[in-house]
Amino acid sequence: MAAVDPRVEQYARLLVERSLTVQPGWQVMVIATPLARPLVEEVVRQIARIGAWPLVRLSWVHGEQVAFDSLWAAEAPEELIGTIAPIEAQARRELDAWMMIQAAENTRAAALLPPARRVALRKAYAEFDERRMQPGFPWVGCLYPTQASAQDAGMTLAEFEDFLYGACLLDWDAERDRMLRYAERFDAAETVRIVGAGTDLTLSIAGRSGVVDDAHLNMPGGEFFYSPLEDSAEGVVEFSEFPASYQGNVCEGVRLRFQRGEVVDASASANEEFLLAALETDEGARRLGELGIGCNPGIQRHTRNTLFDEKIDGTVHLAIGAGLGFVGGLNRSAIHWDMVKELRNGGRIELDSVVVQENGRWLL
Amino acid sequence: MSDPRTEAYARLIVDCIQPEPGWNVLVRSQPLGRPLVQAVTRELARRGVRALVRLRFEAAGGVFVREAPLELLKELPPIDRHEIETADSYIAIVAPENTREGADVPAERSGLAMGALREVQRPFLSDEKPWTGCYWPTEAVAQDAGMTLPEFEEFLFGAVLVDWDALARDMERIAERFDRAETVRLVGADTDLTFSLAGRAGKVDALGANVPGGEVFYSPVEDSAEGIISFSEYPACYLGHEVPGVRFRFEGGRIVDASAAGDEEFLLGTLDTDEGARRLGEFGIGCNPGIQRHTRNTLFDEKIEGTVHLAIGTGFPQLGSTNRSAIHWDIVKDLRSGGRIELDGETVQENGAWRL
Repeated sequence: MAAVDPRVEQYARLLVERSLTVQPGWQVMVIATPLARPLVEEVVRQIARIGAWPLVRLSWVHGEQVAFDSLWAAEAPEELIGTIAPIEAQARRELDAWMMIQAAENTRAAALLPPARRVALRKAYAEFDERRMQPGFPWVGCLYPTQASAQDAGMTLAEFEDFLYGACLLDWDAERDRMLRYAERFDAAETVRIVGAGTDLTLSIAGRSGVVDDAHLNMPGGEFFYSPLEDSAEGVVEFSEFPASYQGNVCEGVRLRFQRGEVVDASASANEEFLLAALETDEGARRLGELGIGCNPGIQRHTRNTLFDEKIDGTVHLAIGAGLGFVGGLNRSAIHWDMVKELRNGGRIELDSVVVQENGRWLL
Repeated sequence: MSDPRTEAYARLIVDCIQPEPGWNVLVRSQPLGRPLVQAVTRELARRGVRALVRLRFEAAGGVFVREAPLELLKELPPIDRHEIETADSYIAIVAPENTREGADVPAERSGLAMGALREVQRPFLSDEKPWTGCYWPTEAVAQDAGMTLPEFEEFLFGAVLVDWDALARDMERIAERFDRAETVRLVGADTDLTFSLAGRAGKVDALGANVPGGEVFYSPVEDSAEGIISFSEYPACYLGHEVPGVRFRFEGGRIVDASAAGDEEFLLGTLDTDEGARRLGEFGIGCNPGIQRHTRNTLFDEKIEGTVHLAIGTGFPQLGSTNRSAIHWDIVKDLRSGGRIELDGETVQENGAWRL
């Protein structure tokens, strides 16, 4: 058997100690696929050494947080899918920390579940989603490198491993300090204007404060984010540089026009059908739930994986759908779809009319 | 492409627990069990039953058992405890990568981990809640059986995909005849053993807690066994040991003389476990027509058609047994090569063929 990559041990330590701050006696749920075995076993080892219980939930295909249920949910009676199993509900009320390790064998597999059933499944887990979004609840989403994710990123597995660990094994205290400096400037602002290729969008973050992800909620971290005022977005944004993908569905050239916070016009150059259907999910699907600013110096290229793409240094991302309660977001929706906008190609960010970032470089 | 036999196997397994709509069923397995786990999950979904799949890399052992502080191993995390307590049923699909996994865990640790589960699993083990255990064919299990994986697949599906209604009727007929008898005599190569079933009723294992089923079994009267039995055809397998050529002499129900052609030390040590280890806890008759060869796996071997098995150690209280022991070691005797079974002096089976 090949020796385990020493980076896996460091990665696991970051996840267990920094991201989740696991304490003795905790019950820590760890969701993964069997492909993540080296990382899962290292995480279990470190949780065990702390004197806490790992609750490992392995499945082959899963959506955001719904371990294995997608296979079951494809065939179960619809009324059963929309409610969570009592055993799962109890577990999610009691667990002390939650880790989700993506390790896909096929990044398109999750798309097989019909949208109505996927929405029902998400609704079944809404109570836990709310709990997870409370300030201070320790959770983290991360990824273990597989051939499928490397392939999506256009890399070999070895290249992708280097990319992943380059993005994750950073001096996170230094990154936090740097991002805090930018976030303070945003906190003090009212209006954000994003200008770029085919794009001129303004939105308000007045009264909202941001959160810096210094590798606590996501691994890698490397973004700070806000939930904009729900009725404030005005203008056009065109995600022309990168595809927007959501649960295995890939849309190209997404363009959204906002009026008073709502998407009033939407188009895509490929897979427009999926985009329009997603916008019809519910009332909240047409409003912004998040504005995020990517700051991870280890991430310079797009890999078709939101976990990384939303942190590309010199990009911003907007999510349609559910807002983030812990930063004051009020928008409710069954979806939360992050789309990344490149600003390194002549774009800029203005705060109350002052340019703070140009061509992806900070002027702060 | 899914093998249609896998679908049939999954239906059979779900039939074993007879789930009602809305039940919560734990499906425990390992990654290699995937085809069957998925087929079982779909079958449960179609019947309106919740499937709660719990996969582990190692069924026994694993990193947590090796690394956790001892005091943490002693108890289950409350979430797991609640899960087992409230589940309506569970299905265990054994699909190891290596049948020796867990062998590196110190006995103290595995003992604590098993102890933590014992009380909470009791409603299942005492049949208050339905459960079933079965195999999915893996290279490791095939290897232990001395077969290639395709051979073992044929063997496994042959053993589980039988006409269970017809076999249940056949076995009930056999059990009726044994229920009426007092004295059983087993005769074969270097074997002439009598014991009593007087007042004891048998149990037919068609489909239930074990897949495959295919045996009729009793707990003999504890002080009745007299004579000699020689398990010369197959090794006696227990706790990872293979003991060839086991031979027992019984007097007044107790083993007074024991020998083996190899690993005799393990045999004698096991007989000294406790007082009950030297008496019979079970007499079983293998009836599964799909199982014709020995695979070093008791779940299958004890059902070889034309064999009987005797277990030394603990008996079945629900079948009237009073013998208690920490062990229960099933040892299989082939009767197809010149052996016979007599009931109260009448031959009912000869060379493995029934004469009922």
